[in-house]
Amino acid sequence: MMSASLTPGVAAIVLFGSFFVLLVLRVPVAVSLALACLPVLLFEDRLSPMVLFNEMFKAYNSFILLAVPFFLLTANLMNVGGITDRLVTLSRTMVGNFPGSLAQINVLLSVFFAGISGSSTADAASQGKIFIEAQVKEGYDLSFSIAITAVSAVLAVIIPPSILMVVWGGVLSVSIGALYLAGVIPGLLIGGAQMLTVHVYAKIRKYPTYRRATLREFIAAAAISVPALMTPFIIVGGILLGWFTPTESAAVAVCYAAALSLLFYREMSSRQLRDALLDTGKLAGVALFCVGTASVFGWLLAYYQIPRALLANVQSWGLGLVGVGFFVAFVFLVVGCFLDAIPAIIIVGTTLQPLTEAVHMHPVSFAIIGIVGLAFGLVTPPYGLCLMISCAIAKVRLRYALKDTMIMLVPMLLVLAMLIIWPDIALILPKIVSPEFLK
Amino acid sequence: MSKLIDAWYRLLNALIVVTVVILIIPVMLQILSRFTGLIPRYIWTEEMARFFFIWMVMLGAMVAVRDGTHFDVDVWPELKPRANAILRLVSSLFMLLTAIVFLWWGAQFTSFGWNQTSEIADLPMWLIFIAWPLLGATWLLFIWQGWVRDVQALRQEQAP
Repeated sequence: MMSASLTPGVAAIVLFGSFFVLLVLRVPVAVSLALACLPVLLFEDRLSPMVLFNEMFKAYNSFILLAVPFFLLTANLMNVGGITDRLVTLSRTMVGNFPGSLAQINVLLSVFFAGISGSSTADAASQGKIFIEAQVKEGYDLSFSIAITAVSAVLAVIIPPSILMVVWGGVLSVSIGALYLAGVIPGLLIGGAQMLTVHVYAKIRKYPTYRRATLREFIAAAAISVPALMTPFIIVGGILLGWFTPTESAAVAVCYAAALSLLFYREMSSRQLRDALLDTGKLAGVALFCVGTASVFGWLLAYYQIPRALLANVQSWGLGLVGVGFFVAFVFLVVGCFLDAIPAIIIVGTTLQPLTEAVHMHPVSFAIIGIVGLAFGLVTPPYGLCLMISCAIAKVRLRYALKDTMIMLVPMLLVLAMLIIWPDIALILPKIVSPEFLK
Repeated sequence: MSKLIDAWYRLLNALIVVTVVILIIPVMLQILSRFTGLIPRYIWTEEMARFFFIWMVMLGAMVAVRDGTHFDVDVWPELKPRANAILRLVSSLFMLLTAIVFLWWGAQFTSFGWNQTSEIADLPMWLIFIAWPLLGATWLLFIWQGWVRDVQALRQEQAP
């Protein structure tokens, strides 16, 4: 009997070919990934479509991914519970006297938000509602307002806590505590680059400036925000001290945000609480369903050893440490245009790992380059979730804000290049605080 | 029929809220039992959290078809309404195919695992596996309802 089995080349063409055709036909990404696997699963003798469910089950049956709904819930609770409002006030007293005040507040709030929430999509959704309309009212251009909201939202996955770091650490076995520490300085640098961009825009386009806040106002705003700003220290500190696992720390963050909202700020109604829970479940379901089907896709790629075939070429180029760094960043930036970040880590992260090991790149350094690259992918078309969300809130098509987004990406890409050339920018903090995590 | 589907949709939404709330409990129990002697150190908490998590994901993926919130990629320039409608139909046919795959092989998957039990708490595994065929069936219902709505909208446009 003839046994039907595909060569890796044919399998690769079928998998990638049908995936892209389905994407173009506007079939949802998660469904495209599943359907692209189907012909291979049917045709290959040793496989059956039941692999689809088995691999999905294995992907979901992990304690690590559980952190995703928790991070989303924390962000949702912050918004309905009045925590976000307090942080807006605090940001205003800090950067209100800079040119383009409201846009600067937008960026600074993203930095604070990033320290509490680990989800960029949640950041884009909540700040889009707060800032886009308000900025346009003050005379900012709509496309600028959409773009700055979207690009500042990517900070949420770079500054700890971060969904992407939890997933990366789980999939590629890197210490999540070390990743969290390594993300702090790159995140602040990117935030700084964005504030600089806003400054230049504001000078050229003459955007409005608020009056300087008094020291008393700042102290009052800071005092009321202190409990909220404690969150990142509880999460990161708790992990570093070995009190709880990253997943557990996300659950602790949920309970802390709920306690602050219910007991301290007291603005949340039971209706809002229910909506926050429902939104969390829905968004987590959509995002993670895609993780499941992407895992099947990635499993099939590994089954046919396609990644090895793809990388054989690259390895012969003889790239050095920095060269591999730029190659990794380039691959993640391109993949990020078409794929959500979590499936990209599962499929591409595991593929590139041997390449980085060959040039002795530090696993944490690899992770930071990959995560920053993927974070930028959140605002690059055609599939940039943060930009999509911001545009959806402003009720315009994605193209509308594209030019300003690309301009804002340039300084951010320079920061990424710095991280590749000087890996110590990211590694210095974990080296000082907890060298044992770096092994 | 449409009312029944609406009721099913509301039930799924309520279940999502329940699963999200329940998810937090075993994880917090785990931490509490580690740091206080108040409650024994359960080991089933971790497994229970994972199982509710799987159900939350699958329920979320079910209702997303009706909400139309599964993320897609838009590479087309501004299209005419007619071209848009055709694209929508093509994409929903592929969704339909996926729903059938999940229902058909998902049912086999469930029946294969019928006698398995979980590693820790000895729960019957079909309680988890059944989520996949159920997702297929639910998608069929929601896709069908979407089509009925589209046809009605078309008729109303043509009528006056």
